[in-house]
Amino acid sequence: MKATLAVINQMQDDGVIGKYAIGGAVGATFYLEPFATLDIDIFVTFQKDAGNLLLTLSPIYEYLTARGCKTENEYVIIEDWPVQFLPTGNPLEEEALERAIETQLDGVRTRVMTAEHLVAIALKLGRPKDYSRILQFIDGGILDSNKLNEILARHQLLEKWEAFGDRFLKKL
Amino acid sequence: MSEWMRKILESKRETRNRLAVLPFSEKVKILEKLRDRSVSIASSPLRKRPVPVSRTGN
Repeated sequence: MKATLAVINQMQDDGVIGKYAIGGAVGATFYLEPFATLDIDIFVTFQKDAGNLLLTLSPIYEYLTARGCKTENEYVIIEDWPVQFLPTGNPLEEEALERAIETQLDGVRTRVMTAEHLVAIALKLGRPKDYSRILQFIDGGILDSNKLNEILARHQLLEKWEAFGDRFLKKL
Repeated sequence: MSEWMRKILESKRETRNRLAVLPFSEKVKILEKLRDRSVSIASSPLRKRPVPVSRTGN
């Protein structure tokens, strides 16, 4: 994964992508026990091109395939890891990317979303595996409840959080 | 909940907590091993056992 992140950093240095942050299961692994996952979710912003308002992942795919990476459905295989590039699609994801934590993996710089943003995104997605991950964050005592509440309120997720609590937390 | 089950759950929680506090690089190494195992299991012929065809009329 270190080599994968080094390639992504190079993409950023070359201006193909703007800021990026790791989300999903790999992002959660920063805070929790490791999860079995087959891919890396990379949330990205693009360098703004005034002449082209249409958001496209083509520059990423072109850049990587020119360097020998293969594509597989929605993934690009970078140094053995399937990577899914996810353009931030809403204000919550934009904020999560903006406030991601700077860290290093064996000397390679990278950015990981905060635990509270990962939980808010999981809540918004609302799939069974997302709910399971939220419960792991709660069980692990990782979350800053004030920070989480602020994020949930800012992104109109408090009602959904309450429903989640009613459904999953009352018996804990 | 029985005492035996309570101890098992507590032990699992302790293991998760122990893993959670490892450095990110250590956790990524474990994650990579987990991924390799998942890939091996997914590609195992044992997972592709054909569904038995029902034999009616015998």
